[in-house]
Amino acid sequence: MVLLLRNLQNVVPIRRARLRKDVETLKRILGVQRFDMGIVCVDDRKIQHINNIYRKRNMPTDVLSFPFYEDLKPGRLPCALHRDEYNLGDIFLGVEYVMQQCQERSCDFQGTLTVIAAHGICHLLGYRHETEEEWAEMFQKEHYILHEFNRLTGSHLEPLTKRCTGDRRYWKDCSEDTGLESKESKTIIPT
Amino acid sequence: MLKSLTRAVNIAARFTNKAPGATVARCAEPLVRSALCAPTSATTARPFTRSIWMMCSGGADRRATLLASKHTLPSCGCGGLHTEGDKAFVEFLSDEIKEEKKIQKTKTLPKMSGGWELELNGTEAKLTRDLSGEKVTVTFNVNNSIPPNMEEEPEQGQKSEDNEPDIVSSPNFVIEVTKKGAKNSLVFDCHFPEDEIGHGEGEEESDIFTIREVSFQPEGEEDWKETSYTLNTDSLDWALYDHLMDFLADRGVDNTFADELIELSTALEHQEYIKFLEDLNGFIKCQ
Repeated sequence: MVLLLRNLQNVVPIRRARLRKDVETLKRILGVQRFDMGIVCVDDRKIQHINNIYRKRNMPTDVLSFPFYEDLKPGRLPCALHRDEYNLGDIFLGVEYVMQQCQERSCDFQGTLTVIAAHGICHLLGYRHETEEEWAEMFQKEHYILHEFNRLTGSHLEPLTKRCTGDRRYWKDCSEDTGLESKESKTIIPT
Repeated sequence: MLKSLTRAVNIAARFTNKAPGATVARCAEPLVRSALCAPTSATTARPFTRSIWMMCSGGADRRATLLASKHTLPSCGCGGLHTEGDKAFVEFLSDEIKEEKKIQKTKTLPKMSGGWELELNGTEAKLTRDLSGEKVTVTFNVNNSIPPNMEEEPEQGQKSEDNEPDIVSSPNFVIEVTKKGAKNSLVFDCHFPEDEIGHGEGEEESDIFTIREVSFQPEGEEDWKETSYTLNTDSLDWALYDHLMDFLADRGVDNTFADELIELSTALEHQEYIKFLEDLNGFIKCQ
């Protein structure tokens, strides 16, 4: 139910109301409005620090997801019994990294943030892209979410991995093409 | 979830004031040298030059001894006592002032970016900015602006003054937005949250600053008019809260501003501390 929004950085100005509205819309599309979720905006230094701690990758990235439920089957909503179990987890957005990528590619920052948030939410719901099959499944979901989002808001957002459509490559190769993807998996299981 | 997670992923030491014994010994040297370990070559660190007053509660007897050792009669025309204790106190203060000035980064206060004008009245600072028919005023007071120590005993053998966090002044601040046509000002009571430190690697979980209360108040009034409705953000709709934060960001009060305010407040607080020590020194000396 609660979308906890935190802005822990001062590098990129964040329009909080817009970000909240967009993420709430994404949650509605996915039918997970009743689940709590955290969105934390951080700079390169912090996301690099987190990336290094949890993934041993000492570099900044665009998004890191920390699912509340570790072994969710993609597409199946968590079976929460108690109120405090209605929680999807947290998404760390590397907003400085995203802004830099947007500037290089002349992309709209706010729209890109929504796309990346959609990617992160998919991870919270159990989607992965370790294999080609997983990637295809996740891409399909992202495509659906953003298609619905566009329909509701009049936006023109596309999934992160769009350029890989039809390729027989796995997501790791895709990251080189899409630019916004860094070179490593975004899903972290907190210890 | 976020709470536990964010705690776990960052080493945020803003409020973790550890207290290495070596520095304590140095600061307390004139009065409690024998009671603590020998002074080291530790460089000056503000946290403990002050916390000695809290930490050496056991030194009361010693001070009593110093005062009681000689009942000195007034030695000048000021009419006040001049005891051996006073003499030691003045020596201590002189050393303290010297050390504090040594670590003072700059004599001038840091400037706020964004065209804010600074006006000082003792420990109170007022930042003002005019933008297209609106006036934004931010007021804060450096008194009681340093969060209480959440001290942890240093590990044995650890004398690392390098690990000491600096004293940071993070005052509550009040933002007043005045529009020409409006009857009252919109006033925001803001603060810097003091995060709990988690186990292991701590993480700050809160925004850099948060709005605590919002109210309409008569322009320029110092006292908060209690009869005006006050919106408490504890139970506020999150979307409304975000709009309020965006409103402030549009007027130059964002995370960058908050960080700069902490720098300014820290420098001002230090300046006022040194001035207080000098006044105290002068008072004891009675000059």
